[in-house]
Amino acid sequence: MTWDYFISILIPMLEGSKMTILLFLIAIVLSIPLGFLLTLAVKSSFKTLSWLAQIYIYVMRGTPLLLQLLIICFGLPMIPGIGQYLVLDRFVAACLGFVLNYAAYFAEIFRGGLLAIDKGQYEAAKVLGLNKWQTMTRIVVPQMFRIALPSLANESVTLVKDTALLYAVAVPELLHFAQTAVNRDFTIMPFFVAGAIYLVMTLLLTLFFKWIERRYTFE
Amino acid sequence: MAIIEISKLKKSFGSLDVLKQITFDVNKNDVVAVIGPSGSGKSTMLRSLVHLETIEGGSISVDGDYLVKDGVYPKQQDIKQITSKMGMVFQHFNLFPHLTVKENLEVAPRLLKRESLAVISKRSDELLEKIGLANFSNTHPAKLSGGQKQRVAIARALMLNPEILLFDEPTSALDPELTGEVLQVMKDLAEEHMTMIVVTHEMGFAKEVANRVVFMDNGEIVESGSPTEFFENPQFDRTKAFLRRNLK
Repeated sequence: MTWDYFISILIPMLEGSKMTILLFLIAIVLSIPLGFLLTLAVKSSFKTLSWLAQIYIYVMRGTPLLLQLLIICFGLPMIPGIGQYLVLDRFVAACLGFVLNYAAYFAEIFRGGLLAIDKGQYEAAKVLGLNKWQTMTRIVVPQMFRIALPSLANESVTLVKDTALLYAVAVPELLHFAQTAVNRDFTIMPFFVAGAIYLVMTLLLTLFFKWIERRYTFE
Repeated sequence: MAIIEISKLKKSFGSLDVLKQITFDVNKNDVVAVIGPSGSGKSTMLRSLVHLETIEGGSISVDGDYLVKDGVYPKQQDIKQITSKMGMVFQHFNLFPHLTVKENLEVAPRLLKRESLAVISKRSDELLEKIGLANFSNTHPAKLSGGQKQRVAIARALMLNPEILLFDEPTSALDPELTGEVLQVMKDLAEEHMTMIVVTHEMGFAKEVANRVVFMDNGEIVESGSPTEFFENPQFDRTKAFLRRNLK
């Protein structure tokens, strides 16, 4: 394998990585806040809302992400009557699928974080005269985030790898270009290059989370 | 002059009556030690004063205002107004682990916005000086010993200038060699005439610092009096038995 060949497959794959990274960023930026709102909905004293949120989380975690993506991309347009208005751009549809799915996972992570906070924290805040909003924003959420960080990091690494599912809904991303090169040139080298690019991405992400964890260690 | 009046306080958890018609007054500048076996309802009584427990019957008045009257609470805003006159120190400190010592002291006054930041910062420095932890203002609670944590918790409660300070077993979670430093801070407060109600197992503190001892057992007040009367001449068998077990 020549250097020129290596560069010739690397460039489209890096081009495809842009899509991978873009999807990752959109998914993480939107699903974390949405996940937190879901957690609040689950904890809500308004029972109907709590039940709806729990059912949502159950469905999203209980079915394959690939199936959800296929339904959003190909299933929605087939709904009689309204289907014609539900034809989304493939990438937009994929983003939607990832956000909806990952929000459910993040919701469970945050719920775990909330459960780990001692009730004495709420009592101290109450006795000190903090209202519910202040208690939540100043006392509970910062601690919840710190507790949730390792799990958030873990889930984010999974998200990087899950972006490969774009392949199934024919959005050209990293894996798509690797597969194209493999088919065209009859060599498995592009797969290893793709693997290396994923490893670089997950390494950077892991280092980033380690840095945040260190920064928010309260000792 | 009574600053807290408690009358016929009643509460139950399911079929268990934890408070049965508790009645007693606390005068301004009193240091009241509440003692008794575990499960006697003393913590529940204390927590009901700052509305961490809701009671089912009876009345509590603070400074002449009813926190609850015949089992009926006023509106949220009034409850907050009345409980704000009291500070509370917990058995397990309940410091905020993500905030530094100084931030722990300042978080509530800053959010309540009654005073300028400069005034708040000056007071937190003074209080840290007073409890001997001035060098720890930027430390997180995880780095402190139990005794240091509890001293910080006391300073945090004092930041809001409470008229009354409540202590819920403040030394029970500490190693024996660390209780002294906390009791010393409490003793200093007593000498400054802070009104205090202290639920405690420290008989020494009850004897030396308190001017009144209340003995609770099984959801009722069995006996109360000055430390001398109480320890030297207990009137009731239950008190005598408790003291025999705990004064060795």
